[in-house]
Amino acid sequence: MKRIVLLTIVCMIIVFSAVGYYYWDNSQNETEFFDQDNNSTGDGLNESEGVETYVLQNNAQAAQALQPKILYWGSTGQDVKNVQWKLLQWGYYNSAVDGIYGTRTFNAVKRFQRQNGLLVDGVVGPQTAAALGLFFGDAGAGRGTGGGAGTLSRNDDIYLMARAIHGEARGEPYIGKVAVAAVVLNRVEHPSFPNTIASVIYQPGAFTAVADGQINLQPDSESLRAARDAMNGWDPTYGCRYYWNPATATSRWIWSRSVVIKIGKHWFGN
Amino acid sequence: MKYKNLILPIILAIALIGTAVWGYNQYAVKNEFETALNNSYQRLFYDLKNHVENVQVSLSKVLLADSRDQNVLLLSQVMQQASMAEEKLSQMPVSHFELAKTEKFLNQVAEYCFSVSENCLEGKPPNQEQREALVNLEQYTQHLTKELSHLHNKIKDGSLSIGAITREQQQQLQEAEGDMLNTRLVQLEEKMTDYPELIYDGPFSDQVMNIKPKGLGDRKVSADEARDIAVRFLKQLGRQEAITPSMMEEGQHMDKQAIIPSYTFVFESNENEQPPIYIGVSKTGGNVVWLENVRFINNPKLSIEDAQKKAGEFLSKVGYKNMEPNYNVKYDGIGVFNFAYTQDDITIYTDLIKVKVALDNGEILGIDAAQYLKAHHQRDLPEPEISADEAQARVKTNFDIDSVRLAVIPRTGVEEILCYEFKGKYNGGDFIVYVDALTGREEKILKIIQDENGTLTF
Repeated sequence: MKRIVLLTIVCMIIVFSAVGYYYWDNSQNETEFFDQDNNSTGDGLNESEGVETYVLQNNAQAAQALQPKILYWGSTGQDVKNVQWKLLQWGYYNSAVDGIYGTRTFNAVKRFQRQNGLLVDGVVGPQTAAALGLFFGDAGAGRGTGGGAGTLSRNDDIYLMARAIHGEARGEPYIGKVAVAAVVLNRVEHPSFPNTIASVIYQPGAFTAVADGQINLQPDSESLRAARDAMNGWDPTYGCRYYWNPATATSRWIWSRSVVIKIGKHWFGN
Repeated sequence: MKYKNLILPIILAIALIGTAVWGYNQYAVKNEFETALNNSYQRLFYDLKNHVENVQVSLSKVLLADSRDQNVLLLSQVMQQASMAEEKLSQMPVSHFELAKTEKFLNQVAEYCFSVSENCLEGKPPNQEQREALVNLEQYTQHLTKELSHLHNKIKDGSLSIGAITREQQQQLQEAEGDMLNTRLVQLEEKMTDYPELIYDGPFSDQVMNIKPKGLGDRKVSADEARDIAVRFLKQLGRQEAITPSMMEEGQHMDKQAIIPSYTFVFESNENEQPPIYIGVSKTGGNVVWLENVRFINNPKLSIEDAQKKAGEFLSKVGYKNMEPNYNVKYDGIGVFNFAYTQDDITIYTDLIKVKVALDNGEILGIDAAQYLKAHHQRDLPEPEISADEAQARVKTNFDIDSVRLAVIPRTGVEEILCYEFKGKYNGGDFIVYVDALTGREEKILKIIQDENGTLTF
């Protein structure tokens, strides 16, 4: 009995020290990460080391870019998201843009291939990707400065807006989502605010959905369409730059705003 | 056996130690993140201060400079530094409404200097009025620099922390000292309010922001009349709803603050599963400002050309004549078509209407006439003073031109200019080049991106 007790205690000590070490180790890594970051900006002591890591990373990326990428059942990641999004846009796919190549994505890819005279295999290789207007890994590489549509688009902005809408106005009627997106764009055009979509959305303290991380949720197709509508000019707020929910707004300042219209639960004003 | 009643305390003691180790590590990690964040804010602040100082220095040099080249150079330095300062300022962990005016100041400084430098390029050195404005701006920047240095000293000696990002922390700070970054910047804000209004033509200038729409007409429309207009408009769309629209609640400042004060109606019924239709009717003139039918399309089968025809037919049916289709985009089974007004075969790019067409049955799903209503008026278009050939001589020689025509384009802000529009290819890409038809100045270059979804201009 005595031995069992001792054994248990020894085991537990081992387990706890292992857990402790794990966390300790992690935090050590974190420190290194920041050190490296400083080095690459050029003011660290062991600069050469940092630069080396940087070069190595770049080489690895370059090597990756040279191989044509193929997406198939079970693939995950941003490229899959891009494919899903394109298919969603063109009406071949109507499920979540989640970056997971599953049955629905597979079927949608097959439908797309059939419609476009491609080999119907449910695999996104270079040809299907090109037909989708996507270029994996080699964006911009080897293109002249004048040509090439693959490098320039507003898709990133639209996707960011859709995420902001999804985080900020998920439960709102469709028009309320367009309105929130319109507010972002009205801010971009106003001197009192930053001048790009990303800097308006990520401005500290501007949107609660950004502060609490809800902006990182996957946007649904309604948010995407609302983002596009707003980018194309639709503005149900008639030029407003602020909105708030009277039930939850805590800032006294917001009540001094002038009010223009109520859409869903939000008041819009200037 | 005598150890038996020691087992539990020992296990608990170990658990406690484990938690302590874990907690300490969490604390250490948190501190590291906080330091990293604080460092980047420190850097932001240093940069901000430097940019503002540079603005001040360059502004004072502009006042002394006497040659066109120096003026343009210095003014573009001011512009660049002011925009960078604005960008840095907007990243500070301070709530927006405490920075709004300072941001506006920096944006307007940048834009004002741009507009003055454009004048310089046209051979007009800054006049008395502009010089006075520049002196004024320099003084305000000086003040800004002073305040920022003051703040910076406090941050350096540690009596002010910028890293307080969580709401809790900010609350604590607010209660404790009342001397936090926020409060200091508020005081700065108060001083930034009264800088004189800058008179210039640019999208951020106060005159341009407050411009009244030109294309509405003058008749005041009551809510009931507007409702009739909305119902009639929907009939013209080919919809025979029996639903009476409800008006959306508007705020007390609608008439003053909205760009186009309007009544907004929604056609929505709970009985059938019809998606709602929204329509905005301007209070002056009774024009349909926008319409949105929230229907999702499942089986797009209509071609873009057919849809464009439908959009065009619809526009002339509701009374918009001389509209010329421009570019289009396609998404979610919807085609969006951009129409520009034409006067005497000259395209007026400021008077734009967008029409959304469902690509399944060709129904009109949306219209956005706000741009048109803002800008449209009967114009006295000047005769071009240079010929198309003369204008073409101003364009880069190996630009491969496909077509030439006259068009009116917006310049910065509200100004409109008559231009020759050259569409063509250069270095494998599609471009449009605009040359002023009166002065021969190369005004604007647009890059065209065509992809399977439509046309984009950059």
